[in-house]
Amino acid sequence: MPTAPPDPPQTTPRQPPRRVWESPWWLAGTSLVLGLAMLAAAWIGGHPAGGVVMLGVMVAVGAVFLLGGRSETIRLMGQPDERWRAIDLTATAITGLVLITVLIGAFLWELAHGRDGAPYTQLAAIAGVTYLAALLILRWRS
Amino acid sequence: MHNDIRQLRTAKGLSQGQLAAAMGVSRQTINSIETGRYTPSLPLAIALAQFFTRPVEEVFHANGTP
Repeated sequence: MPTAPPDPPQTTPRQPPRRVWESPWWLAGTSLVLGLAMLAAAWIGGHPAGGVVMLGVMVAVGAVFLLGGRSETIRLMGQPDERWRAIDLTATAITGLVLITVLIGAFLWELAHGRDGAPYTQLAAIAGVTYLAALLILRWRS
Repeated sequence: MHNDIRQLRTAKGLSQGQLAAAMGVSRQTINSIETGRYTPSLPLAIALAQFFTRPVEEVFHANGTP
């Protein structure tokens, strides 16, 4: 006859406390604010219909954060543990590398077509300065 | 990194979810540690070893050392 598993051990969770921006409500709220900003910008630019579409997309994204159901990816975005934070850090680094690669490629493309490379030159410069500053600050803090 | 988490957990009759709740991590994180796909941080490794009342070097084995 199978026996019921014992009660879970009562120990203090050893993970750092959840930061406010890791709450599902924060993620959903940020999506909504971004959507409203897109709507306002599109409206000012004379394309209100496009702004409404963008707002709708961002509201849908926010709803996914709130109603993620059983999806580990969605759920852990609001309740991250150390493995999820490591995954998030790697994903952020990959995103940054891809963006910088695209920026450099676009900069070279613009140069090759006789233009000055703007705005990719400035964006690539911001990326480079940010990286160097982050290296210095993180090295100083560690 | 190899480890004995699965054997120690099952010997205690605990599910992955129960161990995860005790450690304050997700069930998927415990599963990833057991299968060697994720190497836990030093604080979590120590917490796991303390939970099973073993020295950390008896629970985690670098590069397959017994």
